[in-house]
This record gives sequence, structure tokens and C-alpha cells, in this order.
Amino acid sequence: MTRRILSGVLGVVIAFVVGAIIMLLEGYEPLATYGALAQFSLGGIGPLTTTLKNSVPLVLTGLSAAIAFASGPVNLGQPGQLVFGALAATLGGLYISLPPVLEIPLLLLLAIAGGALWSGLAGLLKQAFGMSEFIVTLMLNMIADFFTAWAIAYPFMDRKAFSPMTPPIAQSGWMPDIGPLNASVLIMLVSVVVMWFVFQRWRAGYEWRITGQNSLFARLGGCDVRGNFMAVMLVTGALAGLAGGLVVMGGPHRFLKGLGANYAWDGIMIAIMANNGLVETLIYGVFVAAIQTGALGMELITNVPSEIAQVLQAVLVLVIVATREYASVVFDRLAARRQARERAT
Amino acid sequence: MNIIVGLITGMIAGATPILLAALGGTLTFYAGIFNIAMEGMMLMAAFFAVLGSFLFHSWLVGLLFAVAGAMILALIFIFFSVTLNTDEFVTGIALNLFALGSTTYLLRQIFKVKGVFTSKLIDSIPNIHIPLIEKIPLLGPVVSGRNLIVYLAVIATIFCYYLVFKTRFGLRLRAAGYNSNSLDSSGVRTSRMQIQSLLLCAVFCGLAGAFLSLGYVTLFAENMTAGRGWISLAAIILVDGHPYGIALISLLFGFFDGLGLFLQSYGVSSQFTSMVPYIATLGALYVYARRNRERERKAL
Repeated sequence: MTRRILSGVLGVVIAFVVGAIIMLLEGYEPLATYGALAQFSLGGIGPLTTTLKNSVPLVLTGLSAAIAFASGPVNLGQPGQLVFGALAATLGGLYISLPPVLEIPLLLLLAIAGGALWSGLAGLLKQAFGMSEFIVTLMLNMIADFFTAWAIAYPFMDRKAFSPMTPPIAQSGWMPDIGPLNASVLIMLVSVVVMWFVFQRWRAGYEWRITGQNSLFARLGGCDVRGNFMAVMLVTGALAGLAGGLVVMGGPHRFLKGLGANYAWDGIMIAIMANNGLVETLIYGVFVAAIQTGALGMELITNVPSEIAQVLQAVLVLVIVATREYASVVFDRLAARRQARERAT
Repeated sequence: MNIIVGLITGMIAGATPILLAALGGTLTFYAGIFNIAMEGMMLMAAFFAVLGSFLFHSWLVGLLFAVAGAMILALIFIFFSVTLNTDEFVTGIALNLFALGSTTYLLRQIFKVKGVFTSKLIDSIPNIHIPLIEKIPLLGPVVSGRNLIVYLAVIATIFCYYLVFKTRFGLRLRAAGYNSNSLDSSGVRTSRMQIQSLLLCAVFCGLAGAFLSLGYVTLFAENMTAGRGWISLAAIILVDGHPYGIALISLLFGFFDGLGLFLQSYGVSSQFTSMVPYIATLGALYVYARRNRERERKAL
């Protein structure tokens, strides 16, 4: 445990040093830049709640990827499942108007169903024909992207808008603010807790994890490997779909062009940084959200383009993972040396 | 007649970047590396091709820049995956993100634009007109007048086949993937073969990227590779890496790419026509999966 925290922190520090070197080469002041980054993402109630709200899609897609990777299925379809969830929630909000107590759960369910539908399709292709979900989900991402782009440009387009987008959804479906905090953050936290219980404490989660570690062992032990595969695909698709629904309901309240592009690979990246741990996914998700949120403010006062956040993110992934794997080698070597010394005396 | 020629030339143009990237990827495939960084390498190459061509007003410099850009990613890949032993899949995904992030960043930083950069100063890669053959009806307009990179891709396919199956290097390359322990024990370092295959992959992806931004069109757009690297990965998997098989599959994808554009002129909305190559990939994957199942059944 301490090892994991240590290598994680070390990785983040090294990544920031690499980021600082890049900034120095570009002629920016790293300290001032990082200061602005922190100030606009963590300094005070306003920035902090914005960061938390922005972390919702990141954490949920991260959770989706982490559970999938830890259970075996290589579900890389979070981007597609997210936009389908978002589209389902938007359509619900456009045509159904109920009191908020009913409307919000309904839209959330629609979002979940939309995401699960799209991941279920990939799962079905695997089950029925043995098509690798790895490539299928990637291709379905592209198809979902074009399909939603078509949906918001033709049948569901807002005629008054200048660029492709849907009209706003019914106001009863907007995620309310509880104090300064948007309610979507609560939904995210509940999802993390529920998924943690399912994954770590329930029998289903145990079977998923065992299948992920050794599918032959799981099958010989009596797990329904095929059924579990489908279940994991559906659950992880549902999580990504939920993320999409919450983006629409908490933010612009409509489906804007390019909605999914911002979160496309972030979830997968966060799951990788977190080594597929669920609690770690929450931590890294908020961390990445802080960088993205702070980057916009940073651009205002330091002239450093906010796109550097994307570069920083990629550096973070590489360095954190490399540090973790390299650190475990070093730790093992140190432990072996200690043992050898103890034996010698 | 013109429609057929148009479809075929569209097919060739669509196939070229996928073919080149897949040829690069197949070298790493034979070396036993799960390389998914073709997408990123192509994107980097596409950006640096425009940069080089814009700065020096020469497509040749653009081409060199493109290869250098892809090479940067290959070197990072080598550092993390071969030297530090980081997981190849993770490294590949991170590098694709790095390519997307850094090209977007550099686009803004160097050219001061967001989204798309184009300029009259960018020198595009020329089309080659072959005398005599040019005059033959039907065949002439298809074989002659294509972009230089298209001809390079044809040569590259034959070169790859020869390299992998007919040379000592190719034998060692395949041994690295087939049984790295026995290669190591025979005195050839597997890591060295893997490094060489990644560098070669960067050269091919460099050409593919340059074709995208200096041949197919003359501009750089954010994320302009649009999943072509992933399609090339699918192509490699579908034919188990054989260069000639890759050429065939690439042409098939190119055909569907061209078909999409063709349908657009018949009033099908562009969003649906853009889906065609990806749906075709799913179709090809279906055929592959079925063939595999039948083979397994026969083996039983």
C-alpha cells in the first residue's frame, strides 16, 4: 500500500518536473504557471466545485474502463457509449416533461440504457461471432460519433442555433445545484461507492475479478465466464452512458457538437494511471479534472495555451506507469538485498 | 467511364495511408510488439510534414520532417517499452494521446490557429505522370498521375515482403516475435530487433502521415488521422501481418472510403458516408472471426 502511494506520488512529481522542463524550453515560467493552474482549480470554493463538476465524466468513464480492464473485456468504447448515453438523455429531456423527482431519474436511466445498448452491441458481436471487442469498440466509437453528429445536425437540430446542437432539454431534467455543488457530483460519488461494493464485496464482482486474472481458473471454478463478460460489458457501458447523461443534464442542458470529443480517451487514461483500482480512479479523475479546469484559467493570466494540459496529461500517464513498474523492480531488489544481508548475519 | 476511374483513384488514395501505416505496424507485429501507436505516429508525421514544407517551401523537407516527427514517438516508445519495460498497450495509448495533445498545442503555438492550418506557402508532394502509359485509355489515368507516395507505397509493400521473408534481418525479426528466448540464446538481442522494427515503423508511418497532410490534402487539421491507425491495426490482425494481404485489405478499405465520397454526391448525408470504412472494418472482422471459428472446429 505504502509502495503504491509512494510510486504514485513519485510519478506525479517526475511528470510535473518533465512538464516544467517543457515549459522552460518554450520560455514560460513553470512555477507561475503551476501556481495559476492550482489557483484556478483548487483555490477556493468556486474553483473547487467547478473542478469536482468537471471530474464527473472523467471519473465515471475511468470507472468504466477500470472495471472492464480488471475483469478481462478490453472495452475501449467509452467515448461512443458516452455520446450514446448523452443522446438518449437528451432525447428523453426533449420529448418527456415530468416533475423533477421523476424526470431526473428517468433521464439518468435513459442515459444508462443508451450506454449499455452501445456496449451491449459490442458484447453481442463478441458472443455471437467471436469478434474481438478491442477493435469492435474502437470502430463503434467512430460510428457513434458520426451518428450523433447526424442526429444533432438533422432530425433533432435546434433551428434557431448557428451550429449543430439540439434545443435545450426540459428544465425539470436539469441537475440542480445543492449549495455551490452540482448534484451530478453526488451521483458520481454514489456510483463509485456502489461499484466499489459490487466489485470488491459482492460475488459477481469477485467472479469478474477472478475472470480478469485467470479466465481458465474462473471457468474451472464454476463461473459463467460468457455471462460475466456480457455483464461487465453492459455495466461498463452503463457507467460511460451515465457520464454522458450527466454531462448534458449538469452542463449545457443540450447536446452540443463535439460533446464527446473532450472526454474521448480521458477515462481510459485515468484507469491506466489508477492501475484499474476504483478508489485510485476517483483520485486520479479529480486530479486530471483539476489540471483541465486550471488550464483554462492559467491561459488567461500566463499566456500559456491551455492545450498544454493535454501534453501534461500524456506525460503524466507515461511517467506514472513507468515509475510504478520501475519502482516495483527497485523495491523488490532492495527487499532481496535486505533479506540477503539478514541471512548473512 | 469517368465514374469508374474516379472510384478507383479514390480507392487508391484512401488505401495509401492505411497500407503504409499497416506495413510499418506489421514489422513490429512480427517482432512481437503490440504496437498501437501508428495512429499517433501518423498524426505527428502529418503535422511535421506541414511544418517542414511550410518553413522551407519544399515537400522533400516536409517528408524528412514527417519521418523525424514519427521517429520522436518511436524513440519515446523505445525508451518506455523496451528500456523501462512499461506495458506496450499503455505506452501506445499514452503516445497516441501525446501526439494528439502536442500537435494541437504546437498548432496553436507555432501557427497561432485552432483546428485547421493551411497556407499557400505549403509545398505539396507532386503527382507523377508516367509518359506513354499516360496515353493508354482507362489504365493510363489510373496508373499514371498518382501521388509520389502512392508509388512509394507499392514499392514499400514488395520491400516489406522481401525484408520479412527473404532476408536474414527478417528471419531474426520473426524469431524475436516467435520465440525471443531462442533468439537471445543464439546471440542476437531481441530488444535490438524490436528497436529496429519500431524505427522502421516510424519511417513508414512518417510517409503515411506526409501523404495525409501533403498529398491527400494540403493542410493540417486536429486529429486528422481520424482512426486510420486503428484501421491499419485491424488490417494487420485480419491477415496475420502478411504484406500482400495487408495491401489487399487496404485497397478494400480504400474502396469503401471512396464509395462513401461517391454516395455523398447522391445525397446521402456525409455523416453516414463517413461511417462506411468503419462498418467495413466490422464486416471484415466478422469474416475473419468466422474463418477462425471454422478452423478451430476442424482442428477439433
